[in-house]
Amino acid sequence: MNTSSNGYVMGFAIGVCVVISAALAMTANSLKPIQDEAAEFDRQKNVMMAAGLVQADDTRTVAELKKLYVDRVKEVVVNTKTGEVLEGKSSKDAAQLNKEADAADKADKTAASRFRVVATTLGDGGKLETVVLPISGKGLWSTIYGYLALEGDLEHVRGVTFYKHGETPGLGGECENPLWCAQWKGKSIRDEQKKLVGIKVKKGKVDPSIPVEKAHKVDGLSGSTITSDGISRFVLADLTAFEGYLNSLAK
Amino acid sequence: MTATATPPVKKSSLFGKEELKVIKDPLWDSNPIAFQILGICSSLAVTTRLDKALVMGIGVMLVTALSNVMISCIRNFIPNKIRIIVQLVIVSGVVIVFDQFLRAYMFDLSKQLSVFVGLIITNCIVMGRLEAYAMGNPPWRSFLDGIGNGLGYMWILAVVGSVREIFGSGKLLGMQVIPESMYAAGYVNNGLMVLAPGAFLLLGVIVWIQRSISGYSEK
Repeated sequence: MNTSSNGYVMGFAIGVCVVISAALAMTANSLKPIQDEAAEFDRQKNVMMAAGLVQADDTRTVAELKKLYVDRVKEVVVNTKTGEVLEGKSSKDAAQLNKEADAADKADKTAASRFRVVATTLGDGGKLETVVLPISGKGLWSTIYGYLALEGDLEHVRGVTFYKHGETPGLGGECENPLWCAQWKGKSIRDEQKKLVGIKVKKGKVDPSIPVEKAHKVDGLSGSTITSDGISRFVLADLTAFEGYLNSLAK
Repeated sequence: MTATATPPVKKSSLFGKEELKVIKDPLWDSNPIAFQILGICSSLAVTTRLDKALVMGIGVMLVTALSNVMISCIRNFIPNKIRIIVQLVIVSGVVIVFDQFLRAYMFDLSKQLSVFVGLIITNCIVMGRLEAYAMGNPPWRSFLDGIGNGLGYMWILAVVGSVREIFGSGKLLGMQVIPESMYAAGYVNNGLMVLAPGAFLLLGVIVWIQRSISGYSEK
């Protein structure tokens, strides 16, 4: 057979492509349920990391952590427009509710994300310990997903994690670095007049001698201004969306 | 290119002299990192911790071995004009399958290795072995060649990874190995080891040691 004829080359190339793509499709499809489960566990772990229940390098087994999540964390669906908690709805219903809201309210651009799942944990005596708010928004290349946990006073940050993003590893990707996230702890989302100001990622290092910076800003991520700005922006936007809910909790 | 030059047919055995040589050579004499200086980029990036280094090493080993076998099986049918791209397609396929498995069973590690698993595709070791070995040798021996080169890559990564993890964060495989009392006595972790330059220095030292023992010098 003449292996250098154009017809043979074309045929061979197509054959290789078809075989490889079939094999890839099969693997991806059959592994999907396991991957989804792993991603869901990772999400739960991040909720608990933000809430301060586990550390990033926790040595407990997967089963123990899953049990901890069931025991300690309560998920509620919040209507961000009214600030109300939807009784009797589980986190799985949120996507469907958003779809319906989006279809019903075409004019309102925020309708597609009106219903969001908030995780809460209770401390001793049933007192509210943390509220873990989902936060997400555009960084440089991708949508960044994370959790921002507030203390029971609904004003100070208890912890933050960013668990899903496509930012450049080593630059914007450092937003998931536990060391960087650790400095969010104790920052305040409200100024002295109790107005919502969010947390700003500063360009450069925070100067602790300036009270405003010390209370509301964190160090920037070197070489990733756009990721940093994005995080500042969507943290404030999401907190604003949840303001009604936070106010209703405070009552 | 000696793709079509087949070695003289000998009585083949599963682990004959030839086969053992194929596995042993890349471990020391023609080590892909220390001797051929290939795959440096990934060995800098993924060696901050030993577990990352090991998973990456296993990845490269599997990819090299499997794609070596596949290419070797179809080596006589691959049109010479498009052989590189055919190799690339097969390598990419194997790498993506490996990445998918990581995502399913080792989610945490796959997040930390992030792009570097995908970048195995461009690892010079893989393509190098396909071109230099699998295109001209039968499947079993190509498989062993892949395993050998993968192991040669892995042990260097493991050494660099262990040193970096011990001195950079005081741990090994996530366990504390440097006792608290040392920290109390004023010991601090070496920040250089966590960063890429630390790996550069270590690799340089390893190459130096390897070459001074094996007596090789650049002409």
